[in-house]
Amino acid sequence: MGTLCHYALFDLKPAFRLDLEQLAVRYRELARGVHPDRFADAPEREQRQALEQSAALNEAYQTLKSAPRRARYLLAISGHEVPQEITVQDPVFLLQQMQWREELEELQENADIDGIVPFKKRLKAAQASLEDDFAGCWDNPAEHEQAERLMRRMQFLDKLGQEVRQLEERLDD
Amino acid sequence: MAYSEKVIDHYENPRNVGKLDKNDPTVGTGMVGAPACGDVMQLQIKVNDLGVIEDAKFKTYGCGSAIASSSLATEWMKGKTIDEAETIKNTQLAEELALPPVKIHCSVLAEDAIKAAVRDYRQKKGLL
Repeated sequence: MGTLCHYALFDLKPAFRLDLEQLAVRYRELARGVHPDRFADAPEREQRQALEQSAALNEAYQTLKSAPRRARYLLAISGHEVPQEITVQDPVFLLQQMQWREELEELQENADIDGIVPFKKRLKAAQASLEDDFAGCWDNPAEHEQAERLMRRMQFLDKLGQEVRQLEERLDD
Repeated sequence: MAYSEKVIDHYENPRNVGKLDKNDPTVGTGMVGAPACGDVMQLQIKVNDLGVIEDAKFKTYGCGSAIASSSLATEWMKGKTIDEAETIKNTQLAEELALPPVKIHCSVLAEDAIKAAVRDYRQKKGLL
């Protein structure tokens, strides 16, 4: 089961566009079925199997529910496995990232809670546009370099989103 | 994770933080990023007629090890020729900062930033 494709575990065909709410519902259903508690009295072999299935299911869910992780996984299963740690040279995009980080720093220095709202809006819009672009090109072998570039950009924006959430928490305190 | 004393020193007192004028023909800019951790690093050098790096600045958004690696890189580059600076290896940065294995990629990012800055300078000067 560990070797089964993440999508197959959810009876889905590989695709970038996913209904995340439906995925979450499906995950909870499936997770119940392999929950270790249900196998407390079962033979050891079955217990171990349930544990493995539960871990595989969790890994699949964590991968599919995150846009950058799902994107990287799709590239991998379509024959373009790319390393996790690499250096990206994407000057225009990185310059914009740096500007966004500077803005975020300013919001933090000024404890500008209201300023976070429009910042988040822009981030969301940028993420949506990256995801549209990726959905339109990942399964075209001629465009896999572009697809990887878009996936890397998603990774940066995902991280930026985490920073925004952390800042919100700090300012809420 | 515990940072080494040298990383903490560079993190708390980073050397050469700032920016140089990108449009200055004697300035080379290297902009690199590590997508998995979201780190963004800009390293800039100002080079004189003899090919010696007179000034170096960096701006890094990332973890302590990434900041320390870029800070140390600018320190080492100053006073070197661009040819010498290009030979700085990530392993030297990592050793000096006593980076743990999981943070080696931060020193790789700094080495890549050095190379990108030198390449940008050469491109501007028509040396490539």
